[in-house]
Amino acid sequence: MTPDELRDAQQDIAVHGARKGDFVRLGDTDLVIRVEGDDREIGNELQIGFGKNARDGIGMRSVRSSESCDVVITNVLVIDALLGIRVTSIGIRNGRISAIGRAGNPDTMDNVDVIVGSGSVIIPGEGLIATAGGIDTHVHAMTPRVCDSALSSGVTTVIAQEFGSFWGVGISSSWALQQGHNMFAHWPLNVGILGRAAGSTRDPLLEGLEGGVCGFKIHEDTGAHPRTIDTTLTFADEYDVAIALHTDGLNEMSSVADTLNVIGDRAVHAFHVEGCGGGHAPDVLTMAGRNNILASSTNPTLAYGINAADEHVAMIISAHGMNPELPSDVEIAHRRVRQATMAAENRLHDMGVIPVTSSDALGMGRADDTWRKTFAMASMFADASILDGSVAPDDVVVSNERVLRHVAKITINPALVHGLSHEVGAIKVGLLADIVLWPYASFASKPNMVIKGGLPAYGVVGDPGATVSNAQPLVIGPQFGAYGASAQELGVHFSNGISQVTVAGRRSVPVQNTRTVRGSDMVRHGILGEVQVDPTGHTVTFNDQIVSSEAITHSPLTRTFLI
Amino acid sequence: MELTPSEQDRLLIFTAAQLAQSRRARGVKLNVPEATALIAHAVIEAARDGASHAQALIAGQNAVAESELLPGVGPLLSGIAVEGVFDDGRRLVVVDFSSTDAHVPGEVTRLEVAAQVSDAATVDIVVRNESTIGISVTTHMHFFEVNPRLSFNRSAAFGMRLHIPAGEHVDFPPGTDVSVQLEPIGGNRVLIGFAGLVDGPLDAPGAKEQALAKAREWGYLDSGQS
Repeated sequence: MTPDELRDAQQDIAVHGARKGDFVRLGDTDLVIRVEGDDREIGNELQIGFGKNARDGIGMRSVRSSESCDVVITNVLVIDALLGIRVTSIGIRNGRISAIGRAGNPDTMDNVDVIVGSGSVIIPGEGLIATAGGIDTHVHAMTPRVCDSALSSGVTTVIAQEFGSFWGVGISSSWALQQGHNMFAHWPLNVGILGRAAGSTRDPLLEGLEGGVCGFKIHEDTGAHPRTIDTTLTFADEYDVAIALHTDGLNEMSSVADTLNVIGDRAVHAFHVEGCGGGHAPDVLTMAGRNNILASSTNPTLAYGINAADEHVAMIISAHGMNPELPSDVEIAHRRVRQATMAAENRLHDMGVIPVTSSDALGMGRADDTWRKTFAMASMFADASILDGSVAPDDVVVSNERVLRHVAKITINPALVHGLSHEVGAIKVGLLADIVLWPYASFASKPNMVIKGGLPAYGVVGDPGATVSNAQPLVIGPQFGAYGASAQELGVHFSNGISQVTVAGRRSVPVQNTRTVRGSDMVRHGILGEVQVDPTGHTVTFNDQIVSSEAITHSPLTRTFLI
Repeated sequence: MELTPSEQDRLLIFTAAQLAQSRRARGVKLNVPEATALIAHAVIEAARDGASHAQALIAGQNAVAESELLPGVGPLLSGIAVEGVFDDGRRLVVVDFSSTDAHVPGEVTRLEVAAQVSDAATVDIVVRNESTIGISVTTHMHFFEVNPRLSFNRSAAFGMRLHIPAGEHVDFPPGTDVSVQLEPIGGNRVLIGFAGLVDGPLDAPGAKEQALAKAREWGYLDSGQS
């Protein structure tokens, strides 16, 4: 490019953001994506503001929102596991995505997909990335503030296991569940609660179902015995609810092969499949790669780092009601921490074998760290993109597929595993408008705006007495969608097909298709094969090939942005 | 102290700036929140010391040096808005840190020149502002219906808009001839609203003639009139 062309390009990027064919570095990672498409017409972009064209009769049609949209996010770079990487506009009506494509007024602009009305709210998306809201399927709600922490990080759906501060690992009391649903309605967040599957008989499970759970948690702390697993899965098949499994880390009653045998070919969500979060030691990772085992990771072991092992012993003791003065507690805690399985887990994510990431918030994970850790991990394996002009644009190696795979891990795949994908998980017409807007510079680390059910619910807010809305100190905090009756209305309560639980103002939605979902359904994943861990826990193979990764010394998305 | 929410927020800046200051004193390279806090703090304190707005801006710009920052931090220190309490009242200051760091998180790289604005058929017209004040017209405005005091061939501008990139505008200074290029309005070509000269389909039979008649009646200057 000539200096003039370069100057014009820089100005164009500053005004309109990236266009088709442009390369964008995500935050301070090594992930460079190339924009695959752009639904705008150059020279005809819809823009809001002084002297711009989003005006009555020009870019906006003088019609009701029922014939246009309530809200439109314009000209935003979407990164979505289903839609791909493209610049587009997203129309929202009644809290759901109503149209995706070129925004404007069809009376004056060609090929308009998203009709913008004279009364439509316009959220300008230039220079921002839009993803579907994150879905965290592993949250110990040990403090109410965990909901704020999740929202502040771009998570809009939480599958909780308690409403502490007590260690629930599932709640089955229908009285307590009703209180839980009432409490969670305070946040503009979709919430499902897992019942505790600790019963060898169906009665406690039935009570949880009547109490409105969206699934059950089997946990070794309350009994992950073969009989419990079998009873719970039989019950789940009958009522279509998801089952999350934290297996027997002591191998007390069964080894991993026995657990797999009891499960048979029934669908199970295997939590923290690496194992330091809990489960058969040292080989629970062998559960990954099987079609009916939907495996996930929790975030402290992701972007496997040099200090990962060292932080975990104390974390295990503290989270699981153990005592550091008791040598036997310390000994079994140590047995859960294995560098080789952590190193392998990260590689299995990159290969598309493990399809889901989650937090394990306040129970050995960080509620606000899953986006960050998922993309720090993606960056570990990124190939260098050469952007100095020495490589022809079409020959530049980019990370589009890797980035889309990692977006899938925190959006559409957890939605599929827990039967939520008829409501959330993608930027797709018909789904709830749960959308996170990220600056290019802080993608996956700090969002600019968290849109819940079509309205800003969380995001960057500043000095409330200032002349402008972006005066320091900027914090990521509640927006209007987090207040009043709207917080109740913008979030949904995920339940099951027989629950009669109601909470004023909040919609209750049964989960669906939790029993038929398989590993091969996992978007941009579905790589199946045999994971083996040697008895010492020092070597992991996938289809007989050693899988491992180097521990990182510096994590992107972290030091640059966190005080 | 009877601190307002806004004043309490300023204490958050102070706390962050003190933390950043102590880290800097240890030789630690600063990250985005740390450097931002020091810049905002410098502006607020300059204002408190009686500085002018211009002086406070300079204090903010100089609050940190590139050598004190982690790689990739300098380019993100732009548009830092903060309100200080100056001697003449509270004032907004927006600081852009001038960085030469080649590490730019979120950087967009364009290796090929993007396609240009459409090469739709255009017409050239000369427009003269007969009023005493400046008039500006934006890209997608129906040029036929712009300010009555602009004199040009209205007939040639029927159904047309400025042939410039979206979001830009053309200025018409008083008493001056300005040449512009117009291109046809796209889409269904239905104009509702504007000045009310059309209020319907542009290409309906008689629409143009009716609009021209209305413009004449309402006193729109038209150099194209015979």
